[in-house]
Order: sequence, then structure tokens, then C-alpha cells
Amino acid sequence: MKPFNFLALLLFIAGLGWVLTLSEGTVRQIQKTYYLAISPIISKGGKTEQFAKEFLNEVEHSADLKKKLEQSNRERDRFKLIASQVRHLEDENNELRAALNFKKQTEFDVIPAKVIRKQPLQWGKTIEIDRGTENGFGVSLCVLAANGGLVGRLHQPGDQVSSILLVTDEGSQVSARVEDTSEVGLVTGRRTNYGEAPKLRLRYLSKNASIRKGMKVYTDGRGKLFPADIPIGTIEDFESGPVHGEAEITPSVDFSNLKTVFVITNQPHD
Amino acid sequence: MLAYPISLIGILLLSCLLQQFIPAITAWYDARILILPLVVLCGSSTVSAAGMLALTFLGGFLWDAQNLIISELGDRQIYHTASDSLQFGYSIILYALMGFLMQGIRPLFQQGKWYLSVTFAGVAIFLYLFIEHLMRSFMTAEFSLKGGTLEQIGATTLLTTMLSPLVFWILFKVANLCGHPIDYRD
Repeated sequence: MKPFNFLALLLFIAGLGWVLTLSEGTVRQIQKTYYLAISPIISKGGKTEQFAKEFLNEVEHSADLKKKLEQSNRERDRFKLIASQVRHLEDENNELRAALNFKKQTEFDVIPAKVIRKQPLQWGKTIEIDRGTENGFGVSLCVLAANGGLVGRLHQPGDQVSSILLVTDEGSQVSARVEDTSEVGLVTGRRTNYGEAPKLRLRYLSKNASIRKGMKVYTDGRGKLFPADIPIGTIEDFESGPVHGEAEITPSVDFSNLKTVFVITNQPHD
Repeated sequence: MLAYPISLIGILLLSCLLQQFIPAITAWYDARILILPLVVLCGSSTVSAAGMLALTFLGGFLWDAQNLIISELGDRQIYHTASDSLQFGYSIILYALMGFLMQGIRPLFQQGKWYLSVTFAGVAIFLYLFIEHLMRSFMTAEFSLKGGTLEQIGATTLLTTMLSPLVFWILFKVANLCGHPIDYRD
């Protein structure tokens, strides 16, 4: 090995040692700086993703339309199209109404935000919203869906866009309680296989906890991250381990159809 | 002498931005083109071992800064366990391992066997994703290869590999313009 390459290898190892021993605070600071630097182009990236999705939908739609044309006359298709547009408008109207009702009914001060991008990570997904520090957002603010369910919390606030750490992510942790019991634990995301609906894990329960399928799980307000009594999901299964019990939860939020979210700005702490 | 390494860093930063515009194909195993890792791997085979180490370090650092989620924990009495995230910097190790693999195929360039280089780039991408999956499984103590995980890795590998001839072509053009010889005898 050439001396220069040996020196480069030593420098590489030293650099690697430095990076691997960075504190969480330093890493967050690095990521914050990086996010602020690229946030102006994230919204443009979101538009590209939207365009690609619409293009693929259009291709799919065109194929469907061709089949329909073979089966029925032009006039009937026109009415079908109108009906579909009406349905779309109706859905949108219902969604906006639900959003408006939620904003009126919730006990928190919330700011609505539009989901502009579902960031495609190889092993998971984060979402980006169209509000940021210019709207007074800071790190770790709690984010809810229109049905009041927990979506996650603000991870990286940029000037005009912010990234949300979803409750379904493996890196997410939420202190939670099970309804009608004294059981508390930590909810974490669970990696699912392609095509499967996201699931959550409720860990550190008592190993003999009397938990049944269908019980609701809520935030318990401990730990200074999430306000209490926000619905997280429903128990699907419970397994008793040698030390702790663990439950599988179905989230209360439909993450595949998330279009509008609400960021709590007056987050109460215990 | 420094024109090519500087251009390579420029291409790397450009790919970092470009990655933001590449959506996942949700209809096909959420496959996506991993442009940044591809530039790192293809670039690794055009520079010396020292250059490869510098490139993989920078590439891995940027990748983790962009993709790794390090969440802020609340009260340590409640959130007593660290989250199941990998350590910041793990991509540097993976990139360096794949970079060494790509260094091994540098003689193929001089023989004009570009198709073998492209194949190796694909193998390196597959190994990178597979090892990453194993590492994540180890962290969460949940290993699974069923239900599309392998297909997801395969689809992403295929898409990324299809782009590798273009990346190699761009790198060779830039190397020629900068007068950078691709020499493997170091």
C-alpha cells in the first residue's frame, strides 16, 4: 500500500470515529442545518412527486377509459366522468368540513397544514407540510389528523416547510396508556412489508396485563412530548414476554390518505 | 490535478439535490432511483483509493444527514430507551465497503468492459440495501424477508442499475475534460 493511501485510510478511520461518536444534539444540529439549506427545493420536489403521481394516475385512468369505451357509448362515459368529479368534490368537501369541524372542536390551538410531500425513504416514510418556522413552528410540536388521531411530531422545521416524524416510524416513541386499565408503555413504529398497512408496537406493558383486542390506546401526557388523551390506535394483539408484555396496535389515522394535518401550538406539558 | 475531484464533489452535491426530485414508484414496490449512492459507487471506480475514501465519507455523511431520523427524546425517566434508529455515520461504512468493491473492478474500465462495471454497480447497490436491511433488522430485533422486502430491494436495484451507464458516461466525459486519467495501478 502506498504511504499516501495509508495516510488516507488513517484519516478516514479518524473521521469515521468522529462521526460515529457525535452526540444526538450535534447530529440534530447538522440535520437542521442541512434541512434549512435544502428546504427551498423540497417544495419543488413535492411538486415533482405530485406530477409523477398524477401522470401515473392518468396512465392508469386512460387504460380504464379505453376499456369502458369499448363497452359503452360516449354519452354514458361522459355522465360517468361527471359523476366521478362530483364524488371527488364531495369527498374534498367532506374532508374540508371535517378539518373545519376539528379546528372548531379541538381543545388545542392548532394550525392546519397541507401535506405537500410524502418523502420516499427506502425503509420508511416521512411527510412534509407547507408550514414552518415562519408560522411559529418549532421542533417536536405535536401533529394531529382531522379525526383527532396522532400523526406524529414536527421533526425538522424549515422556513416554509416542515418534516414530520410519523408515529409509524421506527424512530418514533410515544408514552401511552391503554383505556380502562392502569397499563402504560411506549408506542413505537413497526416496519412492515411492502403493501401492508402500518402497525405500531406498545412495549413495556406488564407481562400479565389484561389487555384485549379492540381496546383503545391514548397518549398519557408523560415525558413532555405529547399532550394527554390523544387517540393513537386500537389494540390488535397482545403477547406476554418473559419480562414485559407487548401489544400490536392499528393506528387511528389512515396515513395513506393524509392530506391535511393540524399542528398543536399550545402544547401543555406535565 | 484537482479539477476532477472538485467536479466529482460538485456532481455528488448535485445528485444530493436531484434525489429530492425523484419520487418512489408506489405501484412497484416503492422502488426508487438511488442517485446519490450510485454517484458514490460509480465515482469510486474512477478515482484512487484515497479519493474513494474521501468520496464515500462525504457521500455517507450527506446521505445520513438527509435520511436518518434522529428524534428528540423527551423526559429520560419516561423515554428510557434509545430509539431504534441506526447510528449517524453508518452509511459511511457501507459506502466504503461498496467503494472497495468498485475499486476492484477498475481494471475492467481500461479493457472497455463497461457492461461488467454496470453489473458490478448493480451488485454493489443490492448488497448495500441488503446489508442496510440486516442492520435495521438487528436494531429492531425483527428480521423478515417475506412479503416483498426482497422484491423492494430488487426493484430499487434494477431501477438504479439502469441509470448507471449514464452516470458512468457522465463521469468519463468529465474525467476526459479534466484530463484525469483513470489509472488502477495505485
